[in-house]
Amino acid sequence: MIAQNFDYAAPANLQEALGLLSNESAKALAGGMSLIPAMKLRLATPEQLVDLGRIKELNYIREEGGTLRIGATTTHFQVESSPLVRSRCPLLAEAASFIGDLQVRNMGTIGGSIAHADPAADYPASLLALEARVSLVNAKSKRDLPIAEFFVDTFTTALEPGEIIREIIIPVEEQSTGTSYQKMVQPASGFAIVGVAARIRKAGGKIAMARVGVTGLSGKPYRATGVEKALEGSAGSAEDIRKAVAGIANGVDANSDLHASAAYRSQMARVYASRALTVAISRAS
Amino acid sequence: MKISGSYAVPAPPERAYTLLQDPVILAKCMPGTDHLDKVADNEYEMKMKVIIASMGGLFAGKVRLADQHPPDSFKLIVEGSGKIGFLKGEGLLNLSPQGEATEVKYEGDVQVGGTIASVGQRLLDTTAKMIIKKFFQKFAEAAKG
Repeated sequence: MIAQNFDYAAPANLQEALGLLSNESAKALAGGMSLIPAMKLRLATPEQLVDLGRIKELNYIREEGGTLRIGATTTHFQVESSPLVRSRCPLLAEAASFIGDLQVRNMGTIGGSIAHADPAADYPASLLALEARVSLVNAKSKRDLPIAEFFVDTFTTALEPGEIIREIIIPVEEQSTGTSYQKMVQPASGFAIVGVAARIRKAGGKIAMARVGVTGLSGKPYRATGVEKALEGSAGSAEDIRKAVAGIANGVDANSDLHASAAYRSQMARVYASRALTVAISRAS
Repeated sequence: MKISGSYAVPAPPERAYTLLQDPVILAKCMPGTDHLDKVADNEYEMKMKVIIASMGGLFAGKVRLADQHPPDSFKLIVEGSGKIGFLKGEGLLNLSPQGEATEVKYEGDVQVGGTIASVGQRLLDTTAKMIIKKFFQKFAEAAKG
């Protein structure tokens, strides 16, 4: 189908874009990997699109004061292939490499993905495990939020009308940290049935820090703090992992659809969490 | 699609039951709804604007209440349609006292069709849960005040 008529603007700088977006009927367009298909099906009928694709000041990856800063319109492929991300924050590069297919990774952007807040998207699990922050900006002001506060619910974020994501801020990883992202793919859509990101730091033969982010299982991505606590202080043996991941779906209202029932999804979350933790522990030194 | 769940409402069952039948309260708590128009006893027409992740639109529909056993249970029958699809559903709501509050359990069957169902299958369950959660969050506030 052909999208309903709409106005299109492609501003060259951020200030101009934010001015246009302060109009309520305007909608930001990043990579268009979710919005354009929805428009073609007339599921989405925005009156005006503000294309962020020509704004150079939103596309970058740089290291600054112990953090990695990734501009909102940086594509998944740029994240996946960046030597800087690969060395400073390999978990994020690994997660990016799992997204959709190559065409999607060439067009889709990190800001677009998390602003859309699909409950089965890949980035959120890693960003939660990495304790990232999101920097938001509108025509008048800007603010910073921990990623856990950014995701409010299914397709719902802390973004206010007129506000867009400026950048993602991730603490640079210590070399001794081990990470892994493991995903059960739904082959038709490329989305995660479940995806688990694990991040482990060891000290004196024990696990000093564990971070576990889960996507796909619930209406919004979350950190499995129960699993983290159960692992911290343990030796990280196969038995420790098995015991810790048993509770990954506790208190979670698990999703159910034609691809996977709630019970199956919960079980797969345990399986993929234990794979992610096993790899992350073996990578931590 | 089967849906079920339960929510706590901070009011005794009698009050929770009355509020759940009150068109003004229902309209206030349903996301994107301004008002319900009474068309017959226990039957209302409504317009609902649903926008989720930039997708959505205007739905027009009907709500009907049936099998009322105050203050324990009633049936809620909903149907609606819009440009992007239609929805038909029936649910049983059970109210039981829980200390000073009321536990509202719901169980129902919803059919969704049209464009939204053919392309959004993966997301129907999650989205339905979110809308129900939003309703009960607002309803809990309304029941308090």
